[in-house]
Amino acid sequence: MQHTWDFASIIQNWPVLWVGLQGTVFIFLVTVTLGLSGGLVVGILRYARSAALRWPATTFVEVFRNTPVLVQIIWFYYAFPILTGIEVDPFLAAVLGISLNTMAFSAEIYRAGIQSIERGQWEAGKAIGMTYGQTMRRIILPVAIKRVLPALTNRGIEVFKMSTLASVVAYVETLNQAKLIADLNFNPIEAYTAVALLFFVVLYPVVQSTYVLERMLRKSD
Amino acid sequence: MHEWNFLAVLNDADLLLLGLVNTLKVTALALLFGVPLGLALALSRLSTFRPLSAVAAFIIEFFRTTPPLVQLFWFFFALPILIDVRMTPFIAAIVTFSIQSSAFFAEVFRGGILSIDKGQWEGAKAIGMSFSQSLRRIILPQAVKRMIPAFMERSIELLKTTTLVSTVAYTDLMFQANDLAQKTFRPLEVYTIVALIYFVMIFAFSQASIAVEHRLAKSGEGTLR
Repeated sequence: MQHTWDFASIIQNWPVLWVGLQGTVFIFLVTVTLGLSGGLVVGILRYARSAALRWPATTFVEVFRNTPVLVQIIWFYYAFPILTGIEVDPFLAAVLGISLNTMAFSAEIYRAGIQSIERGQWEAGKAIGMTYGQTMRRIILPVAIKRVLPALTNRGIEVFKMSTLASVVAYVETLNQAKLIADLNFNPIEAYTAVALLFFVVLYPVVQSTYVLERMLRKSD
Repeated sequence: MHEWNFLAVLNDADLLLLGLVNTLKVTALALLFGVPLGLALALSRLSTFRPLSAVAAFIIEFFRTTPPLVQLFWFFFALPILIDVRMTPFIAAIVTFSIQSSAFFAEVFRGGILSIDKGQWEGAKAIGMSFSQSLRRIILPQAVKRMIPAFMERSIELLKTTTLVSTVAYTDLMFQANDLAQKTFRPLEVYTIVALIYFVMIFAFSQASIAVEHRLAKSGEGTLR
């Protein structure tokens, strides 16, 4: 019952954890970049007038939003290679699962942003001779993205937390390394507490700054 | 080219069915404990008693900013060392997802309660109601109605998050899928079917929540504009 906390074993194994942290940051950067930029493309397609463009985008969004991301990662790891013959390592499986999931969620955010712009803006763009693409790029998107910035940052935070799921297919990230430390040193309590604290310390300031961002945007709008 | 063979999966459909039942069981129990706990956390956070509101805010932020998988591992592997309890995957799952979802529900409750006009509180006070009476009779009935869409969205998120319990060997749908994939050597068919089961279930819930949202919008209490 009386447990003596011993964080020394964590400090001793810091190099192991450090490798994991680098893995977490790396997979986060890759998935958040792919997810948020791919989401913009899908979001614009979701808004397209041509049904041939809109339908595939809608199907994609519904499939990836309505299945758990862990199922997606596992599917890409075990099922996708059989179907395509492409060899999938843990990193690729996790990147595919997490970025496609993020693309689907952020596509809806972008679409909501685009839809929130008044029709008059489109008409004005047309009136001064801009094409659809020009109006979208120069007039609609800059305002739309500014409006949805808080929602996008929240997605980013979710992606950072989601990166732990990569440990399920044994990609080397923070939780995976903590598991290793816990198994070797019999100190699960310190190992997992350290990981929880690490995530809290990284994400808490980010969450707080999104509140500030939200307030700033509300004022400027 | 791969030759699809769903027969091997269908022969063991009862395995998947058991998993599905367990998935729904964990979700339902986590909701059962998570919602009241979320309300308690929200009320504590709104309290004018500073220490109480600070503690509640810390709990909410901590569970919102740490990954659910880390929390699950903590409750399953670490907690039994700290306090003398026998932890089963089932109990660890219920504890983790109740607390984790309560942190999110707390923010939904808080948003709902804060959205109610201050005059309602003053009106209730003017006719002699105590704090808890005004909360129960005046504020919550209105706030809850406004919260329903956010509440349903969170519940769907919870259902998706429960797949994590497979990592501590609780026999949910995901775990049964892993099991069956190993047994039948048919991972493509098994994981595709399981993805489909999740999709149909979650899609149905999402559609229902959209329908409810539209219904609420008509009665003037929606979040849709």
